[in-house]
Amino acid sequence: MELIERYLQAVKSALPSKQNDDIVQELRDSLLSRVEERETTLGRPLNEKETGEILRKMGNPMVLAGRYGGRRHIIGGSLFTIYWKVLSWALMIALVAHAATSIAIAASGKSLIESLAVFFHFPGVALKVFAIVTLVFAAMDLLGARLRPCDNWDPFQLPPLTKKPARKSKFDLVVQLVLQAVFSAWWLTGLHYQYLVLGPGAAFLRFGPIWLKIYALFVVAALVDIAITGLGLVRPDWWQPTRAVRLVKHALGLLILFLLANAPTLFVPADVHRVEWEPVIKNVNFGLHLGLVVAIIATLVNFVRHGVRFVRQFFAHEQQAVMGL
Amino acid sequence: MSRIVDDPLTANYEVLENLRLELRRGCLILAVLAELRTERYGYTLRKALAERGVDIDEGTLYPLLRRLESQRLLVSEWREEDKRNKRFYQLSKEGKSVLKQLTSEWNAISESLGKLLNGAT
Repeated sequence: MELIERYLQAVKSALPSKQNDDIVQELRDSLLSRVEERETTLGRPLNEKETGEILRKMGNPMVLAGRYGGRRHIIGGSLFTIYWKVLSWALMIALVAHAATSIAIAASGKSLIESLAVFFHFPGVALKVFAIVTLVFAAMDLLGARLRPCDNWDPFQLPPLTKKPARKSKFDLVVQLVLQAVFSAWWLTGLHYQYLVLGPGAAFLRFGPIWLKIYALFVVAALVDIAITGLGLVRPDWWQPTRAVRLVKHALGLLILFLLANAPTLFVPADVHRVEWEPVIKNVNFGLHLGLVVAIIATLVNFVRHGVRFVRQFFAHEQQAVMGL
Repeated sequence: MSRIVDDPLTANYEVLENLRLELRRGCLILAVLAELRTERYGYTLRKALAERGVDIDEGTLYPLLRRLESQRLLVSEWREEDKRNKRFYQLSKEGKSVLKQLTSEWNAISESLGKLLNGAT
């Protein structure tokens, strides 16, 4: 039966997430019914090879999942799932390569603008990657009807079962909510009463003016963060609104990081007359700017990843027509 | 690739296979709708169709059932039977009306084609 679960896992990974449990449960019942019928005929339990034969008749899991997808005109249902996975990976690799280059440029001491300029080439490259992958798959789709590459698959090569990450318990969420509230209160108060955040360091340095200029954004970000945990606690089944709020959180984070990175000084000396502290504070500012570039890229990657997933899942619900009958 | 194109027998087989699939598509929808005048779940529906000479694999049947349901031609509900949850499908009111119209269409096509094909042989 593990082979069946591995097959279902492979199908599920390629299905629209809103309905995947429902579809997989129905497929599981069908497979088990087939197994039971065969076992009754043979008068003994099926071995792995015989179970594999039943799965092979059911078809390649990617192709089967593709048939539950929407109506696609360029890439047919049988190839679309594989196309989507290859496209996602290709875009992700391009994104990581750009991010790494951008970080390397920032680390070499060049300006923030120069570093980010490299990263902002990504949309153009992404468009080219999209065009190339789509063209290759459209050609494969055209030839695929004759070559049938998806027919040659082996159920025994399916990936092993993976454990689901456990959903957070109510207790964990309550603790998280309390910690978020305490942290937000500490941070928002600390921006006004700086010794709360900087401790003894407040004798040497102070927050630059930018921190208080964007104070309202910190308040909104804290509220959004608390709202996400609150939603998970009160409405664990509201995955769609939760994801939308999470997207807002990433967008807010990106805006805050960008504004901070653009500020000339993040910290200023507590005493402007102590010139001997200036090199230290200059180094602190440089290090923080570098860290902010890394954080911007990481947040941007997360934002794109969550955005793509959100849009995919939103539209997957609308597209239930089958292409490859 | 060139081997496939150059071999007339294989090329004919491919063409025939594609035409056969096209021909079956509409027929399968009609067969599924007709069989679901009685409530059934996927596995028994496939068996019932097979007994009447309409073979349809699961990889085609289950997505088709979802599509017909999303088009409101079928209604479904989860129920326990034989200690397992099963999704039972049945024609909806709209589905019954569509089936009636499709049946008339099918009869008309069948009659015309019958005359045409008999005349051709």
